[in-house]
Amino acid sequence: MNALPEFHYLRPATAADAVRMHAASPASHYIAGGTDLMPNLRRGLVTIGAAIDLGGVKELGEIVEQGNTLRIGSGVSLAQIAAHPVVQARLPAVAQAALGVAGPTHRAAATLGGNLCLDTRCNYYNQSEAWRAGNNYCMKRDGEGCRVAKKSKRCYAAFSGDVAPALIALGAEVEILGTEGVRRQPLLELYRDDGMKWLTLAPGELLVAVQVSLDDAWVSAYEKVRMRGAIDFPLAGVAVALRREKGVLTGLRIACTGVASQPIAIDGLDAVLGRPLDAAALATISEQADLANRSMKTTLVDALYRRGVSLVLAKRLTQRLWDAAV
Amino acid sequence: MNAPDRKVKLTPTTKSDRGVGARMPLVDGIEKVTGTARYTADLPANGALVGKILRSTYAHAELLEVDISEALKVPGVRAVVTGSDCDVPYGVIPIAQNEFPLARGRIRYIGEPVAAVAAVDEATANLALSRIRLRVRELPAYFKATDARVADAVLLHENKAGNIERAVHNEFGDTAAGFAAADLIREESYECAEVHHAMMEPNAAIASYDPERGHLTLWSVTQVPYYVHLTVAQCLKMEAAHIRVIKPFVGGGFGHRVEPLNFEVIVSLLARAARGTVRLLMTREEAFLTHRGRPETQIRIKLGLKRDGRMTACEAEVVQRGGAYGGYGLVTILYSGALLNGLYDLPAVKYDGYRVYSNTPPCGAMRGHGTVNIRFAFESLLDTMAAELGIDPIAIRRKNLLQAPTETINGLKVMSYGLGDCLDWVERASGWKERKGKLGRQGNIGKGLGMACSHFVSGSAKPVHFTGQPHATIALRLDFDGGITILTGAADIGQGSSTIITQIVTEVLGVDHRRLRLIANDSAITPKDNGSYSSRVTFMVGNAAADAAQNLKTLLVAAAARRLKVTEAEVEWYGEGAAIAADPDQQVAFEDIAEEALVGVGMLTVNGTFTCPIEFQGGKQRGGAVGSTMGFSYAAQAIEVSVDLDLGKIAIDKVWCAIDCGFAINPMSVEGQVQGAIWMGMGQAMSEETVYENGRHKAVNFMDYGVPTIIDSPDIEVHIVESMDPNGPFGAKEASEGPLSGFMSALAAAVEEATGHRFRMLPITPEKIFAVRQEQLAAAANEVTSQ
Repeated sequence: MNALPEFHYLRPATAADAVRMHAASPASHYIAGGTDLMPNLRRGLVTIGAAIDLGGVKELGEIVEQGNTLRIGSGVSLAQIAAHPVVQARLPAVAQAALGVAGPTHRAAATLGGNLCLDTRCNYYNQSEAWRAGNNYCMKRDGEGCRVAKKSKRCYAAFSGDVAPALIALGAEVEILGTEGVRRQPLLELYRDDGMKWLTLAPGELLVAVQVSLDDAWVSAYEKVRMRGAIDFPLAGVAVALRREKGVLTGLRIACTGVASQPIAIDGLDAVLGRPLDAAALATISEQADLANRSMKTTLVDALYRRGVSLVLAKRLTQRLWDAAV
Repeated sequence: MNAPDRKVKLTPTTKSDRGVGARMPLVDGIEKVTGTARYTADLPANGALVGKILRSTYAHAELLEVDISEALKVPGVRAVVTGSDCDVPYGVIPIAQNEFPLARGRIRYIGEPVAAVAAVDEATANLALSRIRLRVRELPAYFKATDARVADAVLLHENKAGNIERAVHNEFGDTAAGFAAADLIREESYECAEVHHAMMEPNAAIASYDPERGHLTLWSVTQVPYYVHLTVAQCLKMEAAHIRVIKPFVGGGFGHRVEPLNFEVIVSLLARAARGTVRLLMTREEAFLTHRGRPETQIRIKLGLKRDGRMTACEAEVVQRGGAYGGYGLVTILYSGALLNGLYDLPAVKYDGYRVYSNTPPCGAMRGHGTVNIRFAFESLLDTMAAELGIDPIAIRRKNLLQAPTETINGLKVMSYGLGDCLDWVERASGWKERKGKLGRQGNIGKGLGMACSHFVSGSAKPVHFTGQPHATIALRLDFDGGITILTGAADIGQGSSTIITQIVTEVLGVDHRRLRLIANDSAITPKDNGSYSSRVTFMVGNAAADAAQNLKTLLVAAAARRLKVTEAEVEWYGEGAAIAADPDQQVAFEDIAEEALVGVGMLTVNGTFTCPIEFQGGKQRGGAVGSTMGFSYAAQAIEVSVDLDLGKIAIDKVWCAIDCGFAINPMSVEGQVQGAIWMGMGQAMSEETVYENGRHKAVNFMDYGVPTIIDSPDIEVHIVESMDPNGPFGAKEASEGPLSGFMSALAAAVEEATGHRFRMLPITPEKIFAVRQEQLAAAANEVTSQ
């Protein structure tokens, strides 16, 4: 067994308290569901002075419909999101993505915030202390250099959260609380393509909620490819949001996960707007998805496969949504 | 309070509904599902020290020095042991013992135990491990059988030239004549990745040493407590009489635990050195490194067929990458050749097998031991050739059925044979005739049906250790309370052996099942048993249980006769009592019979035994005992798949499997075992493989090692064929291993129909299907361009 290391345990009642506690002990770490953090602690991938348990912060645990916007607290569990009637009916990509995470027991504990801030993953990193020591560690933790790309100066560990691409495709924004107060930004800007510093959060900042527009002109879907039907992180996951008006494609946003150190939004899709979806448009989508893809050999499954199927999913979901949106 | 009414009127038809043939949950099922069952890690171990193992990070090296001086200085460390604490090699096969519990002089794989500590807590143990320094001289390491076999390769074991642990060369029948008589001869190569058992319970052991008496008690997760007992005595140079081995509940084995494992000796060494109790709980990663799984295998196989599909000859070369030590390896390579026979009427076989040492964790026995990969190759080639001859896959198998009783060319006895019935059911249930080859494509979904046959032994007829003792012994104990305690050394590892034994005793004695309790696997109490391997328990221990029950019944009938004042021949046995046959109103209750039986002798302990007669113990050739058995199970299965051609993903829609297990002592249990075999076959066929990078295992957790989940499980319809084996207990044979090995080729056949490509390599992963699909699309595009 890998015993948990010792750490202090703090349980704030409000988000503001949580942020204050973090500022007071900078080596601390927020914990909610713990489904990512706990195994990482046991494997020595994270060192913390204190765990700040967000489970008692009620304001993080709410889903609120505000006019044409749904505000989902970062402490809402993935199981709650997947089962929420408004999410199911009006943000199907988000419901599908939440339902696609791990297994039922994980989803009961895991939270939206945890999934959005999920540590990046790599076969050389998500291993025990003894395993990594035997392999001389790597730059992401305790060592030097990259085991995936030998000469690389950066880390290629892959972002593997399922929910982020769905929310990005739907144009979601995040609320972030720091010692200076609340700020808001598009979810996509929460990330950067760096396996070691994949989040743009300043130290101690807390992801409080996600706001996503309930615009019924948009239809959406999320699908992931994984080895097995449950448990696995996405080898590639794709979310598509699409708007079809009078037989014309008037909006298309596609985001992917598992194929870079951050969730990526595919650029260059404006070219296919203004006309019906046809083979040429699908070819353009595929080309753009291919350009955006930065899969590396971070999983035991070949990167070429992950790249290939992400293109298949992008086209397949787009076609399916287009056909259904008549 | 009144005594219970013992005057219940018994009738000759009073029969327990928990006897043989009863469809009932496992007798220990309640404990398992409610969580009250105690596995090794659940046992109270107050004050136990924490054991931890230091494992090698070198794949191959001379071990010059293990410096533990700094580790010993860590406060709270109570013992540190290294290879110098045990100079006795061990191994399950008496002639192939070349493994030390802690490396001595040489390290042969990454993950091999080098030292171990016992400390007051885990953090202290970890700190101590980090203070141990190794001095080594690295050696060239070989991770593939082909590399280990090159001419100038450094030998892993000096006495094994060419790094060949065992080469097997056998020919039975006249293969040259067989091929000469064939109308079609084809030869193909197949490759199977190495797989691991992935049993649910990780390894754990507790050892308690009593320094006053010099006694050791060991609790471990083993399938073979008896072999563990012998090994610990041997390695610690202790009297076996001073050791007690207890097997608590065990969460699966599948072969991982059919040999004594290094940690069982290590925890014992630690307990003795620390003069106390040490608990060693290991991680999933350590289970993967302890391994003993199914080896990476290359197979070249050649088959001759007559135009009508009759087999004329088979030639096979099998190379297994065995890992760093002997373990069960020589048996695995012998099994692969031996069980080419016993399934079909195969008149000539030439077999060349090579078990190769490599710098990877040792392979060993795994469900379907040695037979699975060769069966994949054989059945696949048979399908391919049947297609060439225009013969249906089921028809060609029917053409080659055996007629029981018979003896195969390599000396295996087949006493019962229900394969024909299995084929008939699978053909009917799957709608084979109407649907095979006609499922077509639905958009990007390719559909396919495939089938295959397989078999396995019901226990190896010759035990690994020859002692002259019976192959199985059961004791029944009856005392003043009228309760019957079944004492058995058979290791229930989840397969249900305790249930089967209980049902058999219930059946023979005819008593209320609540009168019985079963105690298993405590060497201080229960009789020796060879263990749970090669599907021997139902057959051998089952027969011993029936024998024991019969022996007890004889004593009880005699006692009843005394009470009823008649001769034994005049007694009618009712189970919960007895009567005078000619005057059924004259009855005596079980409690009174038991009281009478104890008069003058006290507590009764009655033995029952079973021994496989010598004529069943295999051919005279070297290694001929491997594969020998008193009864083969037979299975046929059909699989229907849908393949997402764009993603390369296979969905198993349905599996139909018929099993000839002789007689189902517990149909529910048989169905569960067959479903389990299919799940396990599914994992090997589709997603499981060990992955070594320079000898470092990269899939040492259940995220990377792809055991299928329940969501991936198809609907599995099981049909039981009862061929009533003449020697099995009530006609029963094996049910749990045979159905596994048909899965791979049946899947490959179904995927061939769905994709147009025959995979000859396992596992058939989405990325392989995807790559083939890309090639097919490119070829089709080229064709269009060139037209």
